[in-house]
Amino acid sequence: MMAIRFDRIAGCGFAFAFGTAVLTASAQQTQPPPDQPATPQPMSAAAESIYAAVRPGLLQIRTLVEAAGRQSSIGSGFLVSADGLAVTNYHVVSQYALEPKTYRLEYSRPDGSQGALKLLAIDVANDVAIVKLDGESLPHLAFDEAALADKSPRGERLYAMGNPLDLGFTIVEGTYNGFVEKSYNPRVHFTGAINPGMSGGPAVTAAGKVAGINVAKRLDGELVSFLVPAGKAAALLERARTEPPLDLAHTREDIDRQLMVWQAGFYHALGEQGFRAAMLGPYRAPESAAPWFNCWARTNADKTPKPRALLDSTTCSSQSSLFIADDMETGRAELTHAYVRSIDLNPFQFAAFISQYYGTGGMIRSWSRKRLTQPECHEDFVERSESASGPVLRAVWCARAYRDFAGIYDVAITTVTQDRDKEALISRLAMQGVSYDNALTLAQRFVGELAWAK
Amino acid sequence: MGEMSAVLSGEPIWIEVLSRLHHDVAARYRFVSLPVTVGRAYDNDVVLDDPHVAAHHLRIARGEDGALIAEDLGSLNGLYIDRERARREHVVLDAGHDLRIGATILRVRTATHEVPAEVPVMRGLGFWLPAIACMAGVFALAALDLWLSETGEPKAIRYFTPLLILTAAVFVWTAGWSVVARVFTGRARFGLHFLIVAVGLLAYSVYDMIAEAGAFAWSWTALATTSYVAAWLILGGICFAHLLAINRARRPLKIVLAAILAAAGIAMQTLKQAEYRSTYGQPVTLSRLEPPALRLVAPQREAAFFTDSAALRAKLDKARTEEPDGSEALDDSDDGG
Repeated sequence: MMAIRFDRIAGCGFAFAFGTAVLTASAQQTQPPPDQPATPQPMSAAAESIYAAVRPGLLQIRTLVEAAGRQSSIGSGFLVSADGLAVTNYHVVSQYALEPKTYRLEYSRPDGSQGALKLLAIDVANDVAIVKLDGESLPHLAFDEAALADKSPRGERLYAMGNPLDLGFTIVEGTYNGFVEKSYNPRVHFTGAINPGMSGGPAVTAAGKVAGINVAKRLDGELVSFLVPAGKAAALLERARTEPPLDLAHTREDIDRQLMVWQAGFYHALGEQGFRAAMLGPYRAPESAAPWFNCWARTNADKTPKPRALLDSTTCSSQSSLFIADDMETGRAELTHAYVRSIDLNPFQFAAFISQYYGTGGMIRSWSRKRLTQPECHEDFVERSESASGPVLRAVWCARAYRDFAGIYDVAITTVTQDRDKEALISRLAMQGVSYDNALTLAQRFVGELAWAK
Repeated sequence: MGEMSAVLSGEPIWIEVLSRLHHDVAARYRFVSLPVTVGRAYDNDVVLDDPHVAAHHLRIARGEDGALIAEDLGSLNGLYIDRERARREHVVLDAGHDLRIGATILRVRTATHEVPAEVPVMRGLGFWLPAIACMAGVFALAALDLWLSETGEPKAIRYFTPLLILTAAVFVWTAGWSVVARVFTGRARFGLHFLIVAVGLLAYSVYDMIAEAGAFAWSWTALATTSYVAAWLILGGICFAHLLAINRARRPLKIVLAAILAAAGIAMQTLKQAEYRSTYGQPVTLSRLEPPALRLVAPQREAAFFTDSAALRAKLDKARTEEPDGSEALDDSDDGG
């Protein structure tokens, strides 16, 4: 199966090491031929004038360990008002947001001035935060009107700015490639080299207007980077202006509320999109019809030594991951179906073979003592309701609660068909960061759709 | 008078000196005429080399009613019976009690003393036959279990290694108990100890197999996850049987020892399981499925399954606020409140 690795581009120790390697590698790449530039001006001259114009509005945002007074992670940001409001990524300030007593936030500007930052608002789902520094008539940036209306032309040249790897403020040319098709949380696909430390910095148009905020890149590709759409930052900025600032003593409750709203929307949308049936041997298995799933198939048919039972599985993962903290990500849903049939295993051996896919709990991320309660499980044989005709199932439901957030759970339900002794369908629905009721509703629908193919 | 009647009564008596370790007879003397004296001096009828015995320690005679009486002749270390701590001046003898003088144990028996029935000679295998049969059962079940869980390429080594280890462990265990028995009773009884461990292992093998399959058949996960309880109880039983096979004395103490072993084992493993769970967050579920035909319970209705699943929520919410492990989450909520 193909592993996809994203990296958020706030710089901390680990990301630095990796980021440096990526940087060296990308320096050897030849630049792809540019899309037909819309501007008649030579590009370097454009970048020069943009850099000069935008630079005064940039910030480097540092998270410092309060006790040591040293930075533990760095990112970027940009001023959006003369009185010191600035935009950055939530993941740049997440350590401070969650542990305000252990960390503090500081900015430094290209002119060398430094100072403390106040955290006013966060938007976890879109990875945006609004911070404020003290000052008057500060240079600041404006949002691009076309970007706010999601009407940027594909191929438009954008300039990502920020302070990569703590090396100094830089400008990087790249192209706007529309929205990422399979991402549930809207992300702009930016083709350009953004690196750890540039998180939270702006990606501006040739006119120096903000079209997006640098947020992440793919580790398995070249120059495949992502921006938060400008509209999401503008919306949070508006909220920060009108609503009281974030109460740092209750950040968790604020995130909890955001997660509740987010999961309600996500799982409602999943339900609305519905399931389509996939035929696997004698069984009909539900697969999500939602567009934001990436599916990968796997088989053991080509294994050596020759397998004694054939296993064909499909795993569909939603592209909807939410960053909460360095050790906490949530927001994904995963559907797996594995159709297994015996080649020369007897019924006992076949049961032992499928046991390895049954008893694991089936959660998406590994357990963390700090973040999650111990899982609780219920398992039994399940008979189908009168309306549905399907095999008896062996089912196990496992759930664990988030310690930091009330009402949010990780849930997985795994079922094994019990109508044949040398053939079985193992199905799993795993949900991260879901309310208990939404999990029950979706799981019930999922199990209801498991049936015999007729 | 007494001496005359003793002579006249004429029934011979036997005085037996027992070894201290296993109470075997070390020396046996026959007397037709009484009284008989016992001591370290050479003018006694029974001469003992025990330094804790007086020169003239004991006198055995018949009382007026014809009963045999042992009498302390004024020794320093005195006369005792069996394991009693109370010193006796004289003791009316019957066959059931041993006499203790100094560090020596004596037994007095008359010619009419009844001996137990003849024990048949163990021909051939004795305890070995049932023991070997039991071990064959254990091996067969272990091999069957290995075969039924064989899902990859069949490899002979998968069978040989565990069976060889099992054989070696049984041998070492049996030999250990035999040595203990040999030290305390003089008889190793390897066959009997082998039988005890073989019966115990067979009992556990059968239980384990039933528990594994039953956990699936009755949809009762706890049956499989708590089979270690049965293992420790059976181990306690095995140890009790070994102790009893060594000798039959102090039965209550042996029961207590075996119970303590089993209880300690169960407590340790329960604790270890809980610790492991809280460190790795392992869910408690059935680890092994069986063929669908083995199901014995009626399946739950879909709706009932989800009602039961919904009920776990209260448990999780309670764990979320109660468990102190995630200290940071709790600290902050405390600050907030």
